[in-house]
Amino acid sequence: MSFLRALLRHSSGRIGAIIIAVFAVAAILGLAGLTPHDPLAQDRLARLQAPGARYWMGTDLFGRDILSRLMVGIGQSFAVALLSVGLATSVGTVLGLTAAWFGRLWDGAVMRAMDVLLSFPAILLALLIVAIMGPGLVTSVVAIAIVYTPIFTRVVRGPALSLKTRSFVDAARTFGSSRRYILTRHLLANLVAPLTVQITLALAWALLTEAALSFLGLGAQPPNPSLGLMLSDSRNLMESAPWMLVFPALVIMLAVLGFNLLGDALRDLFDPRTRRALA
Amino acid sequence: MNYVLRRLLMFPLVMLGVSVFVFVAIRLVPGDAITAMLGTESGLLTPAQRESLAAYFGLDQNWAVQYWRWLGGLVQGDLGLSVTYGQPVSQIIAERFPLTLELALLSMVIALLIGLPAGVFAATRAERPSDLIVRVFAMIGQSTPNFVVALLAIYVLSVGFGTLPTMGRFVPLTEDPLGNLAQLILPALALGTAFAAAVTRIARAAMLDILSEDYVRTARSKGFSQGYVIWRHALPNALIPVVTLSGVEFGYLLGGAVIVEQIFALPGVGRVVLDAILQRDYALVQGVVLFIAFNFLLVNLLVDLAYAALDPRIRYGAS
Amino acid sequence: MTIARTLVSTIAIGASLGLSAPLAAQTLNVAWSQDATGLDPHTQTAFASIRLLELLYEPLVRLGPDLEIQPALAESWEFSDDATTLTFNLDPEATFHDGSPVTAGDVKASFERILDEATGASARANYASITSIETPDDHTVVFQLDGPNVPILNGMASVNAAIVPAKAIEAGTVGTEVMGSGPFTLEQRTPNANASLAVFEDWHGGDIAYDGIDISVLPDETAILAALRAGQADFAFLSDPLVATLVPRDEGLTLNAAPTLDYHVLQLNASREPMGELKVRQAISCALDRQDILDAALLGEGEVTGPLTSPAYRNDPFSLFCYEQDQERARQLLAEAGYEDGFSATIMAANGEPPTAAAEAQLIQSQLAEVGIDLSIEMQEMNVYVDSWLAGDFDMAVALNGGRADPYTMYNRYWTKDGNLQNVANYIDDTLDTLMQEGRVETDEEARKEIFAEFERHLAEMAPWVWLYTGYTYTAQREGVQGFEATPTGSLFGLVDVTLAE
Repeated sequence: MSFLRALLRHSSGRIGAIIIAVFAVAAILGLAGLTPHDPLAQDRLARLQAPGARYWMGTDLFGRDILSRLMVGIGQSFAVALLSVGLATSVGTVLGLTAAWFGRLWDGAVMRAMDVLLSFPAILLALLIVAIMGPGLVTSVVAIAIVYTPIFTRVVRGPALSLKTRSFVDAARTFGSSRRYILTRHLLANLVAPLTVQITLALAWALLTEAALSFLGLGAQPPNPSLGLMLSDSRNLMESAPWMLVFPALVIMLAVLGFNLLGDALRDLFDPRTRRALA
Repeated sequence: MNYVLRRLLMFPLVMLGVSVFVFVAIRLVPGDAITAMLGTESGLLTPAQRESLAAYFGLDQNWAVQYWRWLGGLVQGDLGLSVTYGQPVSQIIAERFPLTLELALLSMVIALLIGLPAGVFAATRAERPSDLIVRVFAMIGQSTPNFVVALLAIYVLSVGFGTLPTMGRFVPLTEDPLGNLAQLILPALALGTAFAAAVTRIARAAMLDILSEDYVRTARSKGFSQGYVIWRHALPNALIPVVTLSGVEFGYLLGGAVIVEQIFALPGVGRVVLDAILQRDYALVQGVVLFIAFNFLLVNLLVDLAYAALDPRIRYGAS
Repeated sequence: MTIARTLVSTIAIGASLGLSAPLAAQTLNVAWSQDATGLDPHTQTAFASIRLLELLYEPLVRLGPDLEIQPALAESWEFSDDATTLTFNLDPEATFHDGSPVTAGDVKASFERILDEATGASARANYASITSIETPDDHTVVFQLDGPNVPILNGMASVNAAIVPAKAIEAGTVGTEVMGSGPFTLEQRTPNANASLAVFEDWHGGDIAYDGIDISVLPDETAILAALRAGQADFAFLSDPLVATLVPRDEGLTLNAAPTLDYHVLQLNASREPMGELKVRQAISCALDRQDILDAALLGEGEVTGPLTSPAYRNDPFSLFCYEQDQERARQLLAEAGYEDGFSATIMAANGEPPTAAAEAQLIQSQLAEVGIDLSIEMQEMNVYVDSWLAGDFDMAVALNGGRADPYTMYNRYWTKDGNLQNVANYIDDTLDTLMQEGRVETDEEARKEIFAEFERHLAEMAPWVWLYTGYTYTAQREGVQGFEATPTGSLFGLVDVTLAE
């Protein structure tokens, strides 16, 4: 808990944590169906209504409540981000650890495969995967996970390699600890810091990528509320209904900002140089 | 092994892996290239016509043969023939790439023009209010997706100023430099925002590091002016990470800014890729994606080599 | 805000430079959002292809602004009294772009190509009753028909029946090299990006007041609007009402909205359960509020329609089966069909084609949900959509289908027993087939109207599809562009009459 306290003392950590907490509450309410209005209900008499007492953030072309749709949209974005980053972290950690541990052929094969994946700009790789799997939320999860797997593999492999050569691992080995025990206990413990930072930043990028894919019509499908889709719906209406553009834009921005701030704070906290300065 | 030599040897190997990956990925896409090409009319094709079309585009062979042929062509600079355009893929790339390159360069110029001074400024006033303001803006800039910047910019222009960025026929630089600039400035700004924010942050961090180094402190204590110390000693060293970052970002931008090109209706590489994927134009996706990956790898290689040249620790370092 | 202001001035400079450039050669800058998918006039069906090809190729006759038949390559034409022989006299002045005259031989060769099954001509069914083509001299063509067939003339008024040089057919270059007799020649084209057309100086149809057309394909209609506002486009074709209705906000721009023959429709697939049940289909028809979908998706820009969209044949749609929304009746019909708890199905729609498709799918989904029908939407890329559509592989589909001036030419592909798109229609009965055949041979106009009115009533009642409404085609132009007359077919052929100020 002292770590959490340190995080909240860190100025950008505090702001980031607050933003993410607020959005997380909205997301949970959204996914639990506790929105002010039904996000799919079309109010015929209130199409394209400006923000007001009944619809706080206005309505869209079909008379659907923007606020409710945003809440569900954030929920889905967060879910996609968490699932994809979770997937990338697990696969990347396993690949990175085994590559470092077994070395030789396996290391070569894994790292060359990761090199290939890293040779594409992220969005291009995601597009290719969507083309193969067809658009949808599941595809978004897989696409984003594949994009980030090589990054986690590298993040894990580097420290794992240097840890492997250090004496305490050798010591543990001579004491007869099982291979699996050594891997999990010592290596993972030393990987928590770089992984946590990387995960937070990857979450920010996953949010972005999900929004980008659905903006292009390749992510969540209508009438499913999704931040990117809401933005692209606003394109032809931004002159007559700017609230359709402004609110989703703000939400995407703030959510990404929150994770970035958090990531920055974590990096500061884990970095021995700044840790000293902060203490 | 020598680091530089190893990087150079790796390059063709990774490219080969990329080519296999792209080739296989494209063939996993459901649907058929000929229906994709002809749309409604394909339903009216006779089986014989279908076969002759498939043979013409080399789609009747098995994957290995197709790949071998493709690779053989690649070596001679032949990227194949696009079914939707009826043109060689290399020609399409040659037509679209200058725009993407220009957009990438322009974004980088914007990013460096804003980011470098802002970063240096913030570093010299570390932890003072002006530093804080720069950092807040940098953080917001880095967190705003380029398509959100693009949409907001269009909105502000159209509602606030009653005008819109020009998105008509693309004017090449050689035809009308000012008109070209007018078209590209907003997209470049949209792409440059996050880039500039990243440059600001890196430049600030690097400057801070160097300003705390002994030799800079010594220089200061010897009575050299603050400006002299910064420009003569600190900045050149702080530039190394900035150059690295810019190189990587530039590599990304060369891949075409898919969404921004789409929003601003710019016929660049990114839009070609998107269209080609949606239209299942095998040869075109293969060719363009490979081209993009090649650029990306090349830029990264150059950045690494430059970095190795600047930082001797890496040149001789093990792994 | 200084950055924004600098930006604005940079853009303004660019725009003004673009505008004040001396118009030594007067070029009309045209923008549209969908590019042609090919250049063979006989096989292309996409609206976007037709729009371009109509400027390059000519049929024997074409439709005017009021859907009347006008001379094109033929100066005059005549049916024999029993309507089994159709004779055309060609314009002796007419030449192809290479200067060679358009002869009866070219007409014969073109129609033989269209009729050849191997060509895969899209409108072949419309000319199936041609038994022989005679060419008594270079400028006369006589079509012998297997029976009275008046609609065939209407069917020929299409670029799908364009005349191409006999030698191009022989050489197999139709579709790869443009060699037409139309008002423009194709100078250059980059698919999905742009094309340049030059005026064909020797065009037999008369003089054109400018020198050429530069076409930009801008995939996004907002971009087209921006191009118009910035003066980069002089003339544009728009299909998204949300964008088109923004045009009049600009003083320098004019919007022309022309009602079209094309109809928005909810296609039900009667070969799949439960859409095979008449009562289920009828329930769907009763459950929909067509005007409401029109109001939301097209901002009310259009008119509710029955199957017949051509003004000459159009009837009051609200006299048709269940055109007023009646949810009670819909529930009752569902219950009678054994679906009192409703059912689930998928509805497919194409991304951006028409631009209103996604909105329509969502509105239909919401309205049908009220009577217990649970739809899931599948948005597909155009070419994927077309694949599924042609294969009849869908439960329901949102579509914008092309209309024709004559009901027989418009619907024989769907609603006759040997229609070439029967597997898209997925429904046929004897009444529809009989009425279509009667309509084809009937020569008396009043009697034809009766027949097709009956056809329409029956079609609406059987509800294999649920016809919704017709919209407008929009063209927009900058000040100084004058003389364009829109047609219900959405043709841009009227560009030949345009004059440019300055």
